[in-house]
Amino acid sequence: MEQKFTGFKCKSCGRVMYPKHDRCLDCKGTEFEEVELGEGATLLTYTKLYVLPEGIEMPPLVLGIVKFPGGVRAMGQLTTDDPKIGMKLRPVWGKLRKMKDKEIFGFKFEPLK
Amino acid sequence: MRDVAIIGCGMTKFGRLEGKDLMDLLAEASLRAIDDAGAGERDFDSVYVGNMMAGELVHQTAVASALVDRINLIPAGAERVENGPASGASAVKNGFFAVSSGASDLVLVAGGEKMTAADTDVIGDLVSTMTHPTAEYVHGVTLPAMAAMLTRLYMERYGVTERHLAMVAVKNHANALKNPYAHLHRECTIEGAMSSIMIADPLRLYYACPISDGAAAVVLCPLEKANEFTDKPVRIAGFGHASDVQTLQEREDPAVLKSVQLASQQAFKMAKLEPNDIDVVETHDAFEILEIVQSEDAGFFEKGKGHLAVEKGVTALNGKLPINPSGGLKAKGHPVGATGVAQIVELVWQLRGEAGERQVKNPKRGFACNFGGFGNNTVIHILERGW
Ligand SMILES: [Zn+2]
Repeated sequence: MEQKFTGFKCKSCGRVMYPKHDRCLDCKGTEFEEVELGEGATLLTYTKLYVLPEGIEMPPLVLGIVKFPGGVRAMGQLTTDDPKIGMKLRPVWGKLRKMKDKEIFGFKFEPLK
Repeated sequence: MRDVAIIGCGMTKFGRLEGKDLMDLLAEASLRAIDDAGAGERDFDSVYVGNMMAGELVHQTAVASALVDRINLIPAGAERVENGPASGASAVKNGFFAVSSGASDLVLVAGGEKMTAADTDVIGDLVSTMTHPTAEYVHGVTLPAMAAMLTRLYMERYGVTERHLAMVAVKNHANALKNPYAHLHRECTIEGAMSSIMIADPLRLYYACPISDGAAAVVLCPLEKANEFTDKPVRIAGFGHASDVQTLQEREDPAVLKSVQLASQQAFKMAKLEPNDIDVVETHDAFEILEIVQSEDAGFFEKGKGHLAVEKGVTALNGKLPINPSGGLKAKGHPVGATGVAQIVELVWQLRGEAGERQVKNPKRGFACNFGGFGNNTVIHILERGW
């Protein structure tokens, strides 16, 4: 099954959050359903990191904050070395880094063609 | 609630302090503060020690118990306070509560960190563990990365340029040159800062603080008893403490440090003061962009205009609102657990008129901002002359 990038929608007030909280940031509700955030996210800001954390070999590591159409934002690695604010990206599943010799997987963001 | 006074203060030099371990530093700063208060013969009721990561850095826990043993403050109740890099200010806040509530009459607050005990990459990783474990840390997010992303937002939205970051660094290095306790005693030029190595585009090495060892301490008592110790007590007029969501991206506006806004408003309300009543400021400039953002969100400048104040020299030592006369985290150094206490020490010296070459002209009130994360946990103190 293909992995989808999901947020958490409060069953009481409808606010969608990422990452997950145990209580809603608006109404303190405690029940959530997972919802897809969509394909097209917009790049708000980014950095090219040259001082790398453990388990990432090749500088620079490009990190950014993206905003999904519904307004939810996420931070993550970008697969492009040429980021531009406002560009459209989509979440793709992949290897993020190694930590204590264990490979860590998660979503990165890839430019939409 | 009783009024609380700072009656003594002291600190170690900040820097790469070879041959001195964490307990040496905490003891040295504490004894200086006790000596400064003239409280050497007195019995202390409580001791609070701000420290972020002794367990991880120097393999020692329960440092407050170790400190009262080392300098004989027995049988004072002693505890370590941990709130990330705001451990120092949180320790001061605990001391304030202890005195204002009536529970304690004489309190020592110390803060210290032995950062250079570990390698740079180990420290970088430990500091990164402050970020959100699944939404930030595993993705490779570090504090410089967050600062860089905030900087770029500011550049896009408010026209901040790299030159403005360099100007803050130049100012803080110049101030540190006048501070014998500062880590970096090195002149910094705009050109030098702007040609230092890139660590997290658009952040260069010179737009970030160094890794330092150090400790600082203050002695607190009720203001009504302060004249037993000093004729220049400094009153803690207000404090504020607020938090926000952990991740940068989930903030209402990632370019706004809401916890700074809320904590500052609380502190001003408690002190019955406004931003224009403040004469001298110490900010948490672990990254130079933060000095600009904090100066706005604390209420000293309009949002998006902080860099213009730097440009006009408003925040210089001889400006209308000097910021970081000590050299700030950038040049005085940032031994994380010590920082919040050291900011208070600097303000006390400034208010008493004892800051030497970096003395701000006749300040009556000071403001300190200490971060316990990347802007998601902020402790503010407002101090004023108590004489
Ligand atoms: Zn809700």
